[in-house]
Amino acid sequence: MPITYAMMKEATAKLYEWSLRKVPDDTLDALRRARETETHEGAKRTLHILLQSAIAAETRDRLVCSDSGVPTYVIAIGTGVRLEGDIKRAVADGFEELVATTNPPLLKHVTNPLTNERGYRGKDMPLITWDVIDGAEHVEITCQPKALGSGRWAALEIFTFPTLEQIERYVMECVLKAGSQHCPPVMIGVGIGGSFDHCAKLAARATLRPYGTVNPEPILAAMEERLLKAVNATGFGPMGTGGDTTALGVHVEYSAGHGFTPVAVAFNCWINRRTRARLYEDGRIERIE
Amino acid sequence: MSDGFPTLRLPLDPADVRALRAGDMVLLEGEIVITAGLPTHHRLVECMDGKRALPRDLAGGSLFHLGSYSRETPDGGFEVLYMNPTTSTRFNPLMPRLIRHFGLRAVGGKGGLDRASAEAMREVGCVYLSFVGGGCPLLSDAIREVVAVHWNDLVSHYRLVTLRVEALGPVTVGIDAHGNSLYDSLSQEAEARLPDIMEQLAAARDAAPR
Repeated sequence: MPITYAMMKEATAKLYEWSLRKVPDDTLDALRRARETETHEGAKRTLHILLQSAIAAETRDRLVCSDSGVPTYVIAIGTGVRLEGDIKRAVADGFEELVATTNPPLLKHVTNPLTNERGYRGKDMPLITWDVIDGAEHVEITCQPKALGSGRWAALEIFTFPTLEQIERYVMECVLKAGSQHCPPVMIGVGIGGSFDHCAKLAARATLRPYGTVNPEPILAAMEERLLKAVNATGFGPMGTGGDTTALGVHVEYSAGHGFTPVAVAFNCWINRRTRARLYEDGRIERIE
Repeated sequence: MSDGFPTLRLPLDPADVRALRAGDMVLLEGEIVITAGLPTHHRLVECMDGKRALPRDLAGGSLFHLGSYSRETPDGGFEVLYMNPTTSTRFNPLMPRLIRHFGLRAVGGKGGLDRASAEAMREVGCVYLSFVGGGCPLLSDAIREVVAVHWNDLVSHYRLVTLRVEALGPVTVGIDAHGNSLYDSLSQEAEARLPDIMEQLAAARDAAPR
């Protein structure tokens, strides 16, 4: 039995709905660790409030944030699966149906950038990154709703043959520019290399790796560790009102490129909304995160 | 939530406002006016300029950058299902005038306001209160009554919504009425620390695998 339009529609809609109510477990663990180590009294209290909000949302089936953002998906199709129906349309239809039925209703966040009108529909919505997994017999879908609060602070600059020092300085410049604004403690995704568009995707992909996992590339593992310390030495703190916890993680991805090297920096708010599921040919939709 | 935090009653007494210091955490009780809309702010400016009727007196009141989902009830009233802060710096260009014109005692949202707003706040005796982003379940629980919803031709989070709240918060005083801004001081401190931070990064790079 192939993976169908109906399965894709159901899975993408559910992933979006879940992501608005459940703070990922790795975020909760990271917040708890930060609450222990935080030395700033007000920041400790703020971290405690964030955890309380996360738990209240999960146990009482409430939205964590009123800003449900716009749904973005990474959809990776295993080469071993068969597909049936208009898979791409299924994602758009699922979003539309969810908006019409979810309770409480969502606010209108889909924005036409030419008129600034807001609604539930818009060109190219939801935003999808398509990928392929060689040899896999499933489709993996990750959902990351994205909103202005953290989204507006992402930046990209193109260097020529940069040193690691230049790359890290640029990351810190972006961190200082975002300051208190992006609902810290944040997840910071950094992309290095590739091309202009590819690099932005790398930064987004970097944010998908759970907190507490180590980058398999030794140079980047060390970079992530020192950048996290550097970001937290700035002192912006939880919700940007002061403290040791400005970021819960800095994750870096790279691709080879030419000598022009883009560096992209993306921020996700403290919730770091992320849900993931796998779809199998036997009809199962397995929720992973 | 309310453990140990002092409660501020709204409308705020000028002396209570002046007594607050940046970094204090408090709870709010009373009437608040909220919106998350830039078009709403433009309308408020039109009201100030006499081009539009102000639907609700804001003098000496509180105006917070909180977005909410409101809908009409069968009896013709409104219910608010949830609310949460939005980024205040988006409204920087308009806030000093609004703060001065209405003599606002409290503004707020998340992320703070700029120096020009802090200066207006110092002049009129007004504080900026930081609400936790992603605090929807806790903040929404504080709503006791939907007093009024105005400009409901706008999308929900842009409407001008007046609520009666109890134990709303805790909120952190981000900018006090004496010109002290956590946002300014933290930015300046971070800038001042940057050379040291870059040196520490260099030292860590030297010690790292290549």
